[in-house]
Amino acid sequence: MEGRQLRPIYDALELPDTKYALNECDKLLRKHPNHYGAQALKTFILARSGRPNEALLLGQSVLSTPSAMASAHVQQGLSLAFRALGCPREEIMVYTAALAFSPNDESLHTKVFMAAARNSMFKEQHHAAVQLSKLSKQQKYVWWLVVSLLLQAKHSKDDVAAPVQLKLAERLVEKAVTDGQLTSTEELRVYLDVLDIQDKHEQMTEVMAANGQLAAMISNDPDLVTQRISLLIKIGAYDKAISAAIAALESRDNWADYKLYIGAVVALVGQAADVEAKHSLAADISSNFEKWAGVRGKARGAKLAQVALATRMHEAGHGDIAGSPEVLIWSYLAEFQQKAICYSDIMQFIVARREPSVLEYHRTQLEQRLAAARDSAANSDDAAQAWVNLEKIRYLLQALMGETDPKAWAADIEPLLKFGLGSSQARKKQPSCSDMALIASQRIIQAAFFAYSAANQREQLHSALFKALCVLESGIQLNDSSFLLKLYAIRVYLYLSCYERAQTIYDTLSIKHVQQDTLGHLIIGHGMALGCFASDMEFCYNGVTFYDRFRSKMPRDIEAVYQQGTYSNVQDFLEFQSNIVHSVQRECTHRYALRGEGFEYGNAKETLARWEEADVSSIEHTEQTLSALHDNRDVLVMGLLTPKDMAQWDLELLTRSTPMPGHDWIQAFSLIPQVMHYLVCADNESLQEKLSELTLVDNTSGTLSRQDVLLVRGIIDVGSLYIQASDLQNGIDDQLGRLLSVIRTNVPSNELEPSLFSLSSDSIRNLSAATELFTYMLALKHALSAQRLPAANAVGIALSQLRKEALKSVNALRGWVDKNTRALVEEQWLAENDGDIFADVTRFVVGSQKQTTSMVAKACTTSWLRSVKNLLSQWEKCS
Amino acid sequence: MSTIRRFRAMDLLQFNNVNLDRYTETYDSQFYLSYMSNWPDLFTVAESPAHKLMGYSMGKVEGTGELWHGHVTALTVAPECRRLGLARGLMRGLEDASEKIHDCYFVDLFVRPSNTVAIQMYEHLGYILYRRVIDYYQGDGVMPTEYAHDMRKALPRDKHKKSIVPVKHAVNVEDTFF
Repeated sequence: MEGRQLRPIYDALELPDTKYALNECDKLLRKHPNHYGAQALKTFILARSGRPNEALLLGQSVLSTPSAMASAHVQQGLSLAFRALGCPREEIMVYTAALAFSPNDESLHTKVFMAAARNSMFKEQHHAAVQLSKLSKQQKYVWWLVVSLLLQAKHSKDDVAAPVQLKLAERLVEKAVTDGQLTSTEELRVYLDVLDIQDKHEQMTEVMAANGQLAAMISNDPDLVTQRISLLIKIGAYDKAISAAIAALESRDNWADYKLYIGAVVALVGQAADVEAKHSLAADISSNFEKWAGVRGKARGAKLAQVALATRMHEAGHGDIAGSPEVLIWSYLAEFQQKAICYSDIMQFIVARREPSVLEYHRTQLEQRLAAARDSAANSDDAAQAWVNLEKIRYLLQALMGETDPKAWAADIEPLLKFGLGSSQARKKQPSCSDMALIASQRIIQAAFFAYSAANQREQLHSALFKALCVLESGIQLNDSSFLLKLYAIRVYLYLSCYERAQTIYDTLSIKHVQQDTLGHLIIGHGMALGCFASDMEFCYNGVTFYDRFRSKMPRDIEAVYQQGTYSNVQDFLEFQSNIVHSVQRECTHRYALRGEGFEYGNAKETLARWEEADVSSIEHTEQTLSALHDNRDVLVMGLLTPKDMAQWDLELLTRSTPMPGHDWIQAFSLIPQVMHYLVCADNESLQEKLSELTLVDNTSGTLSRQDVLLVRGIIDVGSLYIQASDLQNGIDDQLGRLLSVIRTNVPSNELEPSLFSLSSDSIRNLSAATELFTYMLALKHALSAQRLPAANAVGIALSQLRKEALKSVNALRGWVDKNTRALVEEQWLAENDGDIFADVTRFVVGSQKQTTSMVAKACTTSWLRSVKNLLSQWEKCS
Repeated sequence: MSTIRRFRAMDLLQFNNVNLDRYTETYDSQFYLSYMSNWPDLFTVAESPAHKLMGYSMGKVEGTGELWHGHVTALTVAPECRRLGLARGLMRGLEDASEKIHDCYFVDLFVRPSNTVAIQMYEHLGYILYRRVIDYYQGDGVMPTEYAHDMRKALPRDKHKKSIVPVKHAVNVEDTFF
């Protein structure tokens, strides 16, 4: 009967036609107001339709009627609703209430377990596992129980309960071992984890030393082999660790094992009674490394291990007992410099010792080899790669020696350009040529920032960056599979305020799914700062879709881990889930999307409805929620040649067009929609509170861009103006005058001739911020009118006048960009000036890369024009 | 030389230097997670001494009877980590697991015909072109629509090498489902 009554609702949901499903629910509820199945389904539909508050209210009312839970329809509808609402406790309450009717229902207990597991509710998870293992003899429930106990203990702050839980888990596993029920490496890993957290390392090594089935499992699992060596070191059994490492390294070439072997030997050397014993230990390990260095396929690992050993001995105060690290570094380079990975391998060891004498030694060695490598680069791909590696080391050494002379950075770029872009190897798309073009552009960028960092020299900085762009684009033209060239090109285009071309290049990288979280920062938000709202919104919506899908699908993956018995994934999956759900980039993407929606054109009614309906409670942040965010943005992907602790030489940092949004940015752009919401809803008390919080962000922020600060201050004025206007006694002239003046200042003046520099630095960004502020003022005006406040008239007249002026100015700017910028790029950015440190580069890009240089100039011009046209159209729409 | 270990979900946050390569497809995260849940011993990653991901191989086992086999879903190596024998090492690991842990008859994989470097490597490892699959790869604006080479290598369990007798005509994608 109940099923038949609900059928039309299910059918509508399957279509899916949410509106129709809701109508069907209401129809049924009109006839049978106490139909709990219909109420449960309505709760679900409301939750899915973005009406969480109504859904929660209805859902809780059904939940408070225990008898309703006897129905499978109610259980299903309500549990799904609470899951969609992100209310795991309520979801579990649904199942618990249902269990009152069928206490031995295994599937219900499993649902409780899974709901708890998906949401890191370890206590509830443990409870459900206990019930399941009582109900059924299935061994998997014992493991579910062990994992629950382990997780509960790991995350517990209760010093009394945690050891008891672990002891219990250990006993359960021991029984499983005795009963022959430990049958997979996954279960073995759980056992080891239980022991590890109790610091029972000796016992762990005993478990791992067992014969029979366990031993076979361990030997087939590389991670466990390595873990065993590590454990032996932890318990101080260095000799055994060394033997285990040697045995492992005899059969495989695993860097983790090399590191552990070295660690064990260094520890033993530290304990050795006399010099002779120390030397003997060092000689043994060195001799093993030398032996493996002669084995095909192992040479690179063994040679690098020699460098690592010597470095570790030095760090531990044992001097050159295992050889001189510097000599070994150059010996390694001599053998493997033809491999692209060589620089990445050796960089950490060069960076480890930064004493001037050591760096000087490296410089001498480099100089002895560099010229020869350059001369022989044309001979083969290997020779070219060797030169690339040496050039990378030259770059690193200059940075480590604190080189800040731009001439030193710009010296000898021409041969790099000729090889990277003009050689026959480059035409054959040899990867070393792309690398060389990249190094050349990195040198140009680095030199430019040292040469033109002063405020009055920024114009020349842009000219130099344009040349770097020509080099990068030439490299891309030759080999468009080099993603590093593209990443740098995106960065430099954005630095020069050219969004359109940056976006085109970004599109060719096929960045999607989880990469939206790690790489989305490269493009998301930059369009909004440069007037290209629509395309930025597309990126934002793709990002939001990714996060929403992830949130709804990830729980199933956590369930799968338990169902498949691959328990070693549990912690990792939970951590991954937390990292994405509480990600900085997720917050940024949502805020940008909200900002973009603020730009969407609508009449007064639509604009007010948008702000009124905005769910601002879900975007509130506290210090605690902000500090719980994870920053997954991948900045290391840019292939830096210097260590991250050297800010002056960090090209990732230097090429940021605006600061990367941080906590203060997220807070500011969470507060702005809240301010607008409370303003439109005429909730002055909440508005005042949010304005105070926003003022606090403005005062404390150090990482907002100039335009972001402008916007934050503008919104504070918008809010204050509204409060003044609501009190009929107060005038609004001061705030209104200030706001109009801010916008006027940031809209390009008709009287001043624009310049290429201002266009590529601040003009478009300022105009964009002014335009955004204007749209907020327009919403303010609509709110004042709707609330019949007399100030509406004055604000309306002022905005109308301002819009006329802005339209004229932006139109003039568009004409100027269209007519002049192309020629100005040629005149100003490609001119050869006396004493220009980039004269060689200019000659090269204007001479042999003429076509690409012209393409880059056109791309810049077109990008600026697109931004200005978009802004013009925005002003036209905002009437 | 690298550290070969199981792939972890957290690696998805730092695999860009591998996956930005044009031949490497980035799938929905759930796709990777399902492999980690179902076949953790067939999903391994190589990490460099500088803790950068160098490449990974992702596989599964499927089929019934004599079609029980290991499948290489993805094998990729970061551009700067090529010519080190890493792909061979990862392939060997996957073949070993297919043979010793899962007792398969053969291992198979799909590859773009335009990826000649990869095809050469697979041939060198003993794989043969078993059949061609029409329009297996769909164009995405960056890479074109292409048919696939379905390549196979018999494992010791397939004593008579029945699994690698080539099919001469091209087949449709649905014919490749097990």
